[in-house]
Amino acid sequence: MNRAVMPADHPLPETAAPAEGALPVAQAGSLPPGTHDRRALLMRLLGTYGTIIVLALMLAIFSVLQPGTFATIGNFRNIINDMAIGTIVAAGLTVPLVAGDFDLSIGYVASFCGLLAVGLLSSGLSIPLAILLVIALGTIIGVVNGLVVSKIGVNAFIATLGTGTIVVGLNYAYSGGIPLQLTQSREFTRIAIGRIAGVPHLVIIMAVVLALLWVILNRTVQGQHIKAIGVSPESARRAGVAVDRSRIVAFAIASTCAAIGGVLMASNLGSGQVTAGDSFMLTSFSAAFLGSAALREGQFHILGTLIGVLTVAVGNNGLAMIGAPIFTQFLFTGTLLVVAVALGGIGRRFARG
Amino acid sequence: MARDTLLSLRRICRSFGGIQALDTVSLDIARGDIIGLVGDNGAGKSTLIKILAGAHDPTSGEVILEGQARKLAPPAEAQRLGIETVYQDLSLIGTFTAAENFFLGRELAHGRGPALLRWIRRKSMGDTAIKGLDELHIDIPGVRTKTVERMSGGQRQLVAIARGAFWGHKLLLLDEPTAALGVRESREVLELIKRLGAKGLTIVMVTHNLDHLWQVCNRVVVMRRGRKAADLSSSATNMEEVVAYITGAKEAMTAADMEAGA
Repeated sequence: MNRAVMPADHPLPETAAPAEGALPVAQAGSLPPGTHDRRALLMRLLGTYGTIIVLALMLAIFSVLQPGTFATIGNFRNIINDMAIGTIVAAGLTVPLVAGDFDLSIGYVASFCGLLAVGLLSSGLSIPLAILLVIALGTIIGVVNGLVVSKIGVNAFIATLGTGTIVVGLNYAYSGGIPLQLTQSREFTRIAIGRIAGVPHLVIIMAVVLALLWVILNRTVQGQHIKAIGVSPESARRAGVAVDRSRIVAFAIASTCAAIGGVLMASNLGSGQVTAGDSFMLTSFSAAFLGSAALREGQFHILGTLIGVLTVAVGNNGLAMIGAPIFTQFLFTGTLLVVAVALGGIGRRFARG
Repeated sequence: MARDTLLSLRRICRSFGGIQALDTVSLDIARGDIIGLVGDNGAGKSTLIKILAGAHDPTSGEVILEGQARKLAPPAEAQRLGIETVYQDLSLIGTFTAAENFFLGRELAHGRGPALLRWIRRKSMGDTAIKGLDELHIDIPGVRTKTVERMSGGQRQLVAIARGAFWGHKLLLLDEPTAALGVRESREVLELIKRLGAKGLTIVMVTHNLDHLWQVCNRVVVMRRGRKAADLSSSATNMEEVVAYITGAKEAMTAADMEAGA
């Protein structure tokens, strides 16, 4: 029972002593000293800056190849304007990801909310009231997601797939699967298409949403709790964190952002399309995972997600500019995602080891 | 009952399905005690600690804290009553700094209402954590800047225990505080436990390492097969006797003795 004294976990100085002063002799089959450290450092750097390095390389390469079309202020304004709605949805998704949860329903929520906004406007509701109702619906769907996941204990993957499918059902029940046209005022479309002092509304709204989410995650008690449960829900629970409530809030934020994205999309299109937002699910996950390999090793964060969206947007835009066929965009995005996530994971492992 | 009794367990039983994990265990914990809780795997140490931590409710029996019958579960209630637990896996958030871990679940913040509207006071949290560690003579660099996953196992354990001591003004429960630590790190942790004892904190510590137990504890409680096999003053016993109680070579107290002891 009486345990023998354990050997010290640090090697005794004597072990290393003979090498000192003498020329280092590389032994067959063993790495020279420091190689492991150097490789670990490289992996950590790639896991931390990989996405940013790719982004910088693409900016450089496309600028050299297409200086007249790619590297122009007009093109960059287009890129950022086009990615604004996707960024809002992806940044919202980042919050449950930080909390350690998946939300597969965001794309369907965006589709339904956009369609519903157009429907409500057509039935005579004022613009602010219609938008408010639709965004509130988004929040409610998020709360339902959170309740099912935390209180009933259904795996988030399956729960949000379920609620997402129900939302698709509601969408078809409401629309009959037929796109809705805006019947009255073009005021609604001006929300997405207008500009203030030359800056597109979409870019301003994106910046506001990003700033708000960043503040929530990094400056509020709620954000601290969401981050904690993403690392270890059990440790957080023991420390007195209201784990269930934090998860519900995270889902509500994601779904609210999806609803905002849906409304902006409808405004941008000038109509309610049945499936227009569905693709946000995949693009948001890609962006958030790419972002997890930007600046922080394998951690989801708002700025990272923005960089993730930007990387995909710049890549696709650049490929189009140099005249590459459409399929290359998918090859590019898919490859980038796998590589970035692998590096992020590796970076984190090395950081912990 | 002695006047300085902090907490008494009276005839505590706890069963899980058909398994009797604790069988009529009574224990008086005096203020300032540092109790070493030992026993083989499955002897009931963990269950006993979890009852004290509020993680389990006893199936039957009473818990009396400062003369009042209390229900310690859930853990938040035990914490409210001044009982803190440092679990074996430390319960720290790896990506948080020591200061952030110190205040996890009890963040200092501006504003009231929902957590979403409470603005975190990082500076105050850092200052207070540094002060708290200073008072315990714990010297760890980067309390407010370094994430604990980048600290050594020993530093992490010091942070976890310091957090427990900071909030647990009545009773501190330590689950295997020196497991998985090297010799030097174990010594630092044991020194900290001694300092906490000297400050008057009451501590119950589960351990497998009798040598460590002897360095810090004034009492040894041996569990065997869900029962309290022995409750000895460290100065009145020796390692051989404790080992004999753990293995069952020496017989447990009779039921009558235990009644008398309670």
